[in-house]
Amino acid sequence: MQSANVNRVTPYLFLAPAALVMAVALLYPIGYMIYASFLDWNPSQRIGEAEFVGLRNYINLLGDAAFRESFFVTLKFAAVVVSLEMVIGVGLALLLDRNIRGMSVLRTLFILPMMIAPIVVGLMWRYMYHPSVGVFNRTLKSLGLDPIPWLSDGSWAFASVVIADIWQWTPFIFILSLAALQSLPQSAMEAARIDGAMGWQQVLYIKLPLMMPVLIVTLLLRLIDAFKVLEVILVLTNGGPGLSTEILSLRISRTASEFRELGEAAAMSNYLLILLVILTFAMFAYNKAVEARTARLRKAAEEDI
Amino acid sequence: MLSLKSVLTGTAVSVSMAGVALADGHGGPYAPYAGTTLVINVPAHPHYNAMMKVLPEFTKETGIEVEVDQLQYLKMREKQTLELTKSEGDYDMIAYVVFSKADYVFADQLENLARFFMNPKLADPAYDAEDLIDGYVANIGVAGGFKGYLPGATGSLFGIPYGSETSVLAYRKDIFEKHGIDVPQHYDQLLDAACKVPEVEPGMGGMASRAASGHQASHAFLLHLAPLGGRVFDDKWEPIINNEAGVAAANALKTIVDCGPEGSQTFGPAEAAAAFSQGQAAMFMDSIAFAAGFEDPSKSKVAGKVGYALHPEGVRRGSQTGGFGIAIPKNAQNKEAAFLLMQWLTSKKGDLLVAMAGGNPSRFSTYQDAGLNEKYPYSATFGEALKYADPDWRPIIPTWGKINADIGTTMSQVLTEGLDPQEALNGVAERARAIMDEAGYYTWQ
Repeated sequence: MQSANVNRVTPYLFLAPAALVMAVALLYPIGYMIYASFLDWNPSQRIGEAEFVGLRNYINLLGDAAFRESFFVTLKFAAVVVSLEMVIGVGLALLLDRNIRGMSVLRTLFILPMMIAPIVVGLMWRYMYHPSVGVFNRTLKSLGLDPIPWLSDGSWAFASVVIADIWQWTPFIFILSLAALQSLPQSAMEAARIDGAMGWQQVLYIKLPLMMPVLIVTLLLRLIDAFKVLEVILVLTNGGPGLSTEILSLRISRTASEFRELGEAAAMSNYLLILLVILTFAMFAYNKAVEARTARLRKAAEEDI
Repeated sequence: MLSLKSVLTGTAVSVSMAGVALADGHGGPYAPYAGTTLVINVPAHPHYNAMMKVLPEFTKETGIEVEVDQLQYLKMREKQTLELTKSEGDYDMIAYVVFSKADYVFADQLENLARFFMNPKLADPAYDAEDLIDGYVANIGVAGGFKGYLPGATGSLFGIPYGSETSVLAYRKDIFEKHGIDVPQHYDQLLDAACKVPEVEPGMGGMASRAASGHQASHAFLLHLAPLGGRVFDDKWEPIINNEAGVAAANALKTIVDCGPEGSQTFGPAEAAAAFSQGQAAMFMDSIAFAAGFEDPSKSKVAGKVGYALHPEGVRRGSQTGGFGIAIPKNAQNKEAAFLLMQWLTSKKGDLLVAMAGGNPSRFSTYQDAGLNEKYPYSATFGEALKYADPDWRPIIPTWGKINADIGTTMSQVLTEGLDPQEALNGVAERARAIMDEAGYYTWQ
């Protein structure tokens, strides 16, 4: 009897250290942030001196036009950036999924942008976008075209940060898609070829559906990242002109350091966290639903036979 | 672009000033503190780089050693905010950005300097506080008087200006001469000249100004607001930023940016200064701290061609006051020795030393010094400009960060998206009132 009990407890004993580390390293900071979001807390105070204000920070934020604008900019940025990156990244992977000489060198070159520190990426693009000495406007001028106000006009500035982000993060999607493509079962491809599938049919009906699980995870990772991008935009535009590129993470950082409202910054972070959690669940739910549907179809097909 | 890098890297340089041998027989006021090591926190800024050059002199004279923690100024502010909440701090003396005065004094984190100046063992009778530039002292050092952040019957001293700045107009003498443009005395002339330059000198902008969204655009707007007769708040804290003077200031800024060098809408101070020193603009109106860079032939294409004039007059004269002050944190470990350092740095001798090394003087007498004027010929003009330095050109209150950012983003919309200035400022006034209301500024009304 005794040994049975011990046996039952043992796995939990082994799990305990991991659970403890998890609680300290993950739950504590999140709990701290949630607690802080209910406080009117400026950084000159210790947390104990801050006044408890309940949901006031959350309610104030909902009524704050600048926060709503920044929330909208973030959604727009993430949607635009991630869809373009997915299309370009997967497209490149499909094109380059073949035996070309020097492929490994090419692949390394492709993922180079990802390895550069974001601050440096920001600075680099800032110089390139420079109105008079930047390479883009100099080229335009030498071609006899009008220079473009890359960072000094609201819509152009948004486009400029999108371009920089695509440049930096498309390789991430490319490299993951390429790995997925190269691990696809050859039998399925062969069967498709024997059935006379054209190139694009193979892509559409065989390759993409088989890659889907990897693509979903990639999409999710990129999406979460896109919601949190900070440094590149900080260096490129610092949120300007106006609020046209002020994404949420930039606003959070300004709220904490410039406005000195730690409670409000925490509440904003929680809104962002909630949004990301919803997105993640939605995507997993969708994935589940798709899997269930395939399983059902397969079962039905098997029963038909 | 060069200084953009220094703004971003925020290098933390810790330099020990040790190594100067303690001389024998330090009698007098410094003797009890000889051998003490002070830790101070200062910004990476030309003035404080100059201070580094004079610190060995202090150690030699007093036997007190100084260890310096130098940070980019916004990083410095963040670090201090944390540091000052500790019960035992690491810093014996800090240099603070002028707008930190409101936060630190409000949170009771700075020593009131009265008890040091009252102490006969510490206070130097030859200090001559009257000689300190009063606009700076009012703006940076004193709190608790008029409107809470200015001097007045109830005010007291929490810091001493050190590395303070005002605004002057830098202009290209050669360009002005070539086209017969007079040096602007009034705002009308300034705006005319700003838009005349691009017409007569193709490819060159009129005036390079900060304008980037956020703090920079707000700073640029406020620079014109005071001389044009405006204020952000009236004496009862009602926002009056959207009155006629406010609209005039917004229009002035828009004119300047529209007639400025290419890409002006995204300029920070460093980029605006770079545009001027590379010959892309004929005028530059900002802090005096940039002058040394313009006169350095290794960094500037316009060295020797620049003239300096007072910030032009609108309905009144009113140049900016800003920069840094030095103070002793409440949680410092060596307050008396820190006071001695503070007093020495801002004494007539220390002020002249730092000025000769390229810093910004804090005293009227330093600006009169013949040696300094010989080395930096523009010093006399700067000394003159200081008489009109306006300590109230922007409010220094805890809610300012938020209002400042709002003015900045809204002004950026005026500059880049064609938002109507009156409408823009009405919005700012409305939001500012809500912020002030929440912070309790209308409790007594």
